[in-house]
Formats: sequence, structure tokens, C-alpha cells
Amino acid sequence: MKSRFFILSLALIILPLVAESQPATEELVSSCVHSAGENTTYLKDFRIQLPKMSSNGTAPVYKANMYLMKNMKYRFSVCNAPGSGGELAVTIYDQGKELISSYNSSTGKKYNTIDFVCNKTGLYTIWYDFIDGEQGSGVGVVSMIR
Amino acid sequence: MTGTITKIAAVILLLGVCSCRNSGTRQGGLSFPVADSVPAGEAEKLSDEALADIVQNIASPVEIASILQSMQVPFSAGYLAPTHEADRLTTNFQKAVMLGIYGADLGYLNIYEKTGNSVDVLSTIKRLADGLRVGQYFDFETLKRLSVSKSNLDSLLFLSVNSYNQIDNYLRENNRGSISALMIAGVWVEGQYLATQVAMSHQDEILRDRIGEQKIILGDLLMLLRPYRSTSREYQSILGMMEGISNKYTDVKVSYRLGEPETIEEDGRLVLVQHEESIVEMSDSQLAEIAEMSKEVRNKLISGL
Repeated sequence: MKSRFFILSLALIILPLVAESQPATEELVSSCVHSAGENTTYLKDFRIQLPKMSSNGTAPVYKANMYLMKNMKYRFSVCNAPGSGGELAVTIYDQGKELISSYNSSTGKKYNTIDFVCNKTGLYTIWYDFIDGEQGSGVGVVSMIR
Repeated sequence: MTGTITKIAAVILLLGVCSCRNSGTRQGGLSFPVADSVPAGEAEKLSDEALADIVQNIASPVEIASILQSMQVPFSAGYLAPTHEADRLTTNFQKAVMLGIYGADLGYLNIYEKTGNSVDVLSTIKRLADGLRVGQYFDFETLKRLSVSKSNLDSLLFLSVNSYNQIDNYLRENNRGSISALMIAGVWVEGQYLATQVAMSHQDEILRDRIGEQKIILGDLLMLLRPYRSTSREYQSILGMMEGISNKYTDVKVSYRLGEPETIEEDGRLVLVQHEESIVEMSDSQLAEIAEMSKEVRNKLISGL
């Protein structure tokens, strides 16, 4: 009887901890989608968690490939998770050539969203990283501007 | 005492398994994607690993519908796949394909705000998702409530697209990529069917370009399906059908005109206007053949092959 009580207590302590870790990201995604604006339709989200830059100076990057279509306008939004050490940035590449980034390293200017007026259908590479190679977590949302 | 320790260990192990499964599949609590430290020059290289990333973005159930809406093409329920067909689906293969097809229909319904009509599609999707053991990613009650109340289209679109993204992620992360590939193929086929059927009755350059550009995307879709060719007659069949559509694209040309991108700041937001352009050359007869073949494939799929 005692052992059953102990097991039940243990489960009641641990289960909420397990459950609590879930909605946090869903809420972050949802609020990030909302921050993209009213005239947008959500297409995709990327959930990013990266460690700090290694001692050899290479900054961790999360990359994803995505088809973007001609005559469409896309919005890329970045949102930092509460307590994230670094600030999330997004950069769009077309065949290895940087097109646009939400962070300008020479001026230090940062944007929470960048818009892309696409005129060439193709496979683009989306890079997510944290400014200055800091450790961090956050969400990147891709929306279509209506 | 030994029994008690065993029970405690079992509970901890069970909780641990549940916890890991959730973080990996739903990507809740932030998943841990593999960090890539890749030099910029490497970005254009397309590895096998990257293919997995590509496929998740091959077909969007809402983009085509959005184009149709912007063309002011009236909504037509006649384009939708009949939901009564879903009741006689028995195999996972059929369920996965139809889950994709109904997903595209749901996108079409939602973009057109025909949310009252979507409850039937939603119920069918839920049944198929349950049948494939991915129903947990489909918040049917909330989606139904949003559909019926017509109160929040943005939330409805977000939840429905997000459900599909999560199902796709879950399937791929749990070595069920073959099911994910079928679902993606279903979304693509239905989107292609919608686009081509409308294009046959409404002249529109943007829609026409979109259909022509599917030549590029279809190539990746075939790459995605090919590895499963030998696993069953059904996979062989769907691959054959998709190759049939691909053959109709053989003489469609997609070329590129170079141009430098322009960056502007608008309302505190950075905007990139791309001046490089993709150009589609596709004759009326090529379009008609593609439309016909797409319709044939789609109808075969909804009739269960």
C-alpha cells in the first residue's frame, strides 16, 4: 500500500513537470505567429535551440531548406524564448548567396521581421543563429503576406 | 522491497520515455536540432540530409488556395474530394494519401472562409489521423469550434496548418517517412488538381506560372517517393502516376533572368525585393495535358488507386 502511495506521489510530482515543458513552445510559436501581423498566413515554424559558439570560433547555425514561390510575399519573424541568452537572427540564402538578414553585423541593427518579395521560384536556405554566437532558444516563423 | 524498487524504476522509466518522445516529436519545450556550422559557400549544396528538410516544404495547403482567392475565382465545392470515400479506406497507404488530399481541401475551404463546410472535412481528417496514430496532433474540438463560430480565421489557419506540420515532423522523426511522403504527395496532388482545373477555365499568368514551376518541385517529390518504390505495389503505383505527370512537364521550360535584389526599409521592417526572376514557358496544349493527367491521378487516388 505504502509503495503504491509512493509511486503515485512520485508520478504526481514528475508528470506536471513533463507536461509543463510542452505548451511553453506552443505558446511562443503562437505569439510569434501573432506578431507577424494580421495580413499574414502562417506557413511554417522552426524551433531553434543552439549552444554557445565553440572555442574555435564557429557559430552554431540551424539551417532549413524551403521552397519559396514567385509572386508571393513572405514574412520571416524571429522570437526569442524567455530566458534565451542570445538573440535569434534569420538569414536567407539563394544558392549560397546571402540575400537578406534580420541582423546587420556592421551597424548592429536588428529586426524582428524581414519581408521577402519573391520573384524566383526555387529552393532557398534559411539560416537561424544567435547573434555573436551566444547560446539561445527561440522560434522562427515563416508566413505568407496576403 | 525489491518489488517496490522495480515499480518505482518502471514509473521513472515510463515518464522518461514519455518526456523524450514529446520533446522529440511535438518539438515542444524546444527540440534540439542538430547544430550545423557550415561555411556560407556550402549553403547551396544539397545533401541527402537536406532532402529531408526540403520535403517538409514541398507542398503548402494554403498557397495555391490563396492565389485562387486573389484571382477572385469563386469557391466551388465541386473541386473538393468527396468525404464519403474515406470510410472505405483500409490501408495506411490510402489513409496517408487521403490525409494529404483532405489537408489541401481544408486549406482551400479555410482561405475561402467556407468554414461551415469544413466540419465534415475536419471529421474525416480526424478519423484518418487517428487511423494513422497521429490524431494527437489534430486538435479537432478547437478546430471545429473555430470553424463553426467563424470567429477567428487566422487561428483556424494556424491550427490546421500547424497540425499538418506537426504530423509531418512526428512521422519523419519516428522513421515513418514513407507515410509522411504519401501525405505530402496527397497535398501536392490535390493542390495541383485545384490549380490546373481552375487554370483551364480562368486565364491567369500567375496561376499558369505556378503550375509550370511545379516541374521543379515535382522532381523533388519523385526523389522523395522513389526510395519506397520497392516496398509495395501501391508505392510503385503512385510513383508511376507521379512520373506520368512529370513526363507531361518534359517540354515545359523554366529559365532565369538575373537581377540584383533591392533592400528597403518600410515601416521599420526590412524588405527585400528580388529582381532575379524565374520565367516559365508552357504552351496551352502542355497545360491542358498536365491538367488532364493531374486530374486522372487525383481521381485514381481518391478512388483508392
